[in-house]
Amino acid sequence: MTKGHRSSFAVALSRRRFSAGGACALLAIASSKASGEEPPTLRFGLTPVFLNNDIQLLDALKLYLEAATGHSVELVTRRTYQEVTSLLVSGQLDAAWICGYPYIQYRDDLELVAIPAWNGKPYYQSYLIVAADREAQTILDLRGDIHAFSDPDSNSGFLVTRTLMFEHGLDPEIFFRKTLFTYGHRNVIRAVASNLAQSGSVDGYVWEVMLELEPALVSQTRVLRRSEWLGFPPIATSRKMAGTEKNLVLQKALVEMAANPQGREVLGMLRLTGFEMPQEKVFEGIARMVDRLRGVL
Amino acid sequence: MSGRIGLFRLPLIWRVPLAVSVLMLLVSAVITERVLDRLGSIQETYLQSIANSYLDGVTASISPSVLREDSWEIFDALERLRPVNTAIVPVETIVTTPSEIVLAATDPLKYPSLEKMDDLHVEQFPDKQIRIESGDGLAYLERDIDYQDTTIGRIFTIFDARLLLAERRDVLSTLILTNAALTVLLVLIGFMTVRWMIRPMQTLENHMIEAAEGKAARIDVSSQAPGNSESRRLFMAYNSLLDADEERRELSSRLAEEEKLASLGRLSSVMAHEINNPLGGLLNAVDTLKKHGANATVRDASLDLLQRGLQGIGEVVRAALATYRPARQSRPLSLSDFHDAKMLLSPELRSRGQELELLLEGGEDFACTCPSGPVRQAVINLLLNASAASPEGADLFLRAAKRAEGVIVEVGDRGPGLPAKAVKLLTGPARKSLPEGKGLGLWVVRQISDEIGARLELASRSGGGSIVRIRIGPDTVTEINHAA
Repeated sequence: MTKGHRSSFAVALSRRRFSAGGACALLAIASSKASGEEPPTLRFGLTPVFLNNDIQLLDALKLYLEAATGHSVELVTRRTYQEVTSLLVSGQLDAAWICGYPYIQYRDDLELVAIPAWNGKPYYQSYLIVAADREAQTILDLRGDIHAFSDPDSNSGFLVTRTLMFEHGLDPEIFFRKTLFTYGHRNVIRAVASNLAQSGSVDGYVWEVMLELEPALVSQTRVLRRSEWLGFPPIATSRKMAGTEKNLVLQKALVEMAANPQGREVLGMLRLTGFEMPQEKVFEGIARMVDRLRGVL
Repeated sequence: MSGRIGLFRLPLIWRVPLAVSVLMLLVSAVITERVLDRLGSIQETYLQSIANSYLDGVTASISPSVLREDSWEIFDALERLRPVNTAIVPVETIVTTPSEIVLAATDPLKYPSLEKMDDLHVEQFPDKQIRIESGDGLAYLERDIDYQDTTIGRIFTIFDARLLLAERRDVLSTLILTNAALTVLLVLIGFMTVRWMIRPMQTLENHMIEAAEGKAARIDVSSQAPGNSESRRLFMAYNSLLDADEERRELSSRLAEEEKLASLGRLSSVMAHEINNPLGGLLNAVDTLKKHGANATVRDASLDLLQRGLQGIGEVVRAALATYRPARQSRPLSLSDFHDAKMLLSPELRSRGQELELLLEGGEDFACTCPSGPVRQAVINLLLNASAASPEGADLFLRAAKRAEGVIVEVGDRGPGLPAKAVKLLTGPARKSLPEGKGLGLWVVRQISDEIGARLELASRSGGGSIVRIRIGPDTVTEINHAA
């Protein structure tokens, strides 16, 4: 399975695919408390969520982190959010860029390291998209669609739409003819653009940036509904590894990225303005949705 | 039809090369057709194998997704697995459930997921075999997706085979052009070669036609085929044939002459006998005259005897002379000719104790324009033959009758009937050459009859024996008549 996922991820990278978690990643800090010795390598988990040229981005990110932390860095990628989250929670990663939704789900086991800032703010939106020429006005017009979700653990690619439907008293399994998980925001856009799915839930950040990078593809879709502003996918670590030296230098490297030329290059590829120190309140919106759906999912 | 007749009327030197050319064209056409057919099937196999390898890849890749009915994974795989650098490119691929509900297609707009595939579309895909639509250059192939011996789905693929078809068209035109050029060249070479090869045959044919027209000429071997030993041998053989024929002709005429002389010899002996018979009596009469010439009674009796004896000799000599008189001195046939024949034959008949009945109809006005000499000779030959064929003491007859349509001469014998060879010799097709063995007399009869334009007929004689009839028409040779 792992191998399969890696290869599919590689293909996804080469096609500049965006992944589900918008910009979910987590930087883990090694657990020096447990072992007494810090491992020489910093294992940093990523969900396949990147912009621009993915391979170049990974290389640039790795080089920056190695230079800024003084540790050798191993970037660990997986196909789904769940896999990355599991590795992080179980302590197999020092940190990872994850999504706000799994962060809220595993808040007791995780600790925030940094939050990316897009257009100067640590927030983004979830978009409900349809084909560009479709006349639908609200989600109620999407009855009978094949609907493309990104990932069952994605905030913008699942949770937001699911909550909205809950608020309207709709059951996705009945309301939609069929739902798909494409495990990538770019895939959601492709599915809707090609008419494989008639509507989709996508990361607004990814949609906006891809509109700039792949206008031919993205312009075949239009945004039917924008959600409220929600916390941007953060970098988190497991609670037991929080506060270690590796985690601290990682946090410093991320927060100071915007001040570093090499870091700015990475941020340019990601179309981000920088990373901010953790603030719990950023994820209150997501936490409310999780509360609302408790017992439903 | 007239074209066919016209073709058959062409000389051999054109017909044979044309036939060879037509055959070569046919062979070329058949070979071209075979090659194209083979090319077609090879291309189809090639197309099928490319299509199969594409479908193998797709099937292996999407089977788990089909099992889960994961439309996105199937769609994504179809997008990723689409080959670009092959002779045939899949234009559309549709993956369905076994009941043809679309799971995913490369063109979801045309084939929406979860919709039943149109029957019309399904019919375009023959069972497992690739179908090439030459009109739009598309190829259709359907494949089942099997998992643990169960069909979990189907793949319908439409390929763009225009490149392949264009290649086939290129090969087709190249092949036809090359073949046509080569065939024309070979036909030309074949035509010229065969013409050259059968030219000696043409020469031979011309000479044989000329020979049949009586203008036989030897082939000049040195100039006709200087380097070709085979035709040289053929020409030499033809020349030898001409020489042999010439020799045979000479031999025939010599033999005919000898036969005439032979019968002359036989008649000469008859004549000598006829002269010798009275000669003794005449000499006795002369002696009697010498001794008793003074006695008037004795003298008169002796002189009378001498006169009758000499008259007898004179008749024999006259008959012989009339028979062997040269043609220019011939006179028209008359009844006396038949008397002469009987007289000339009488010693031969007497020796065999045979009787010859002379039946002459027409009296003294037996006027006939035909020459007497040849007829006498023919009659004598027939009588000699009849006498030889009949047993001793047999009764023969010679009939001569004048009719409105001409003269009929019949010779009847008591023989066992003419043998087949003799019948053929007398009434069969004319032949110049001599017959083998005996029968020269009858051959001479035939020659004479042909020369004077008479017709020979055969009949059976009542009471046993045969009748040979000579019908001499009124328009027989008159030149001799004038000469007479």
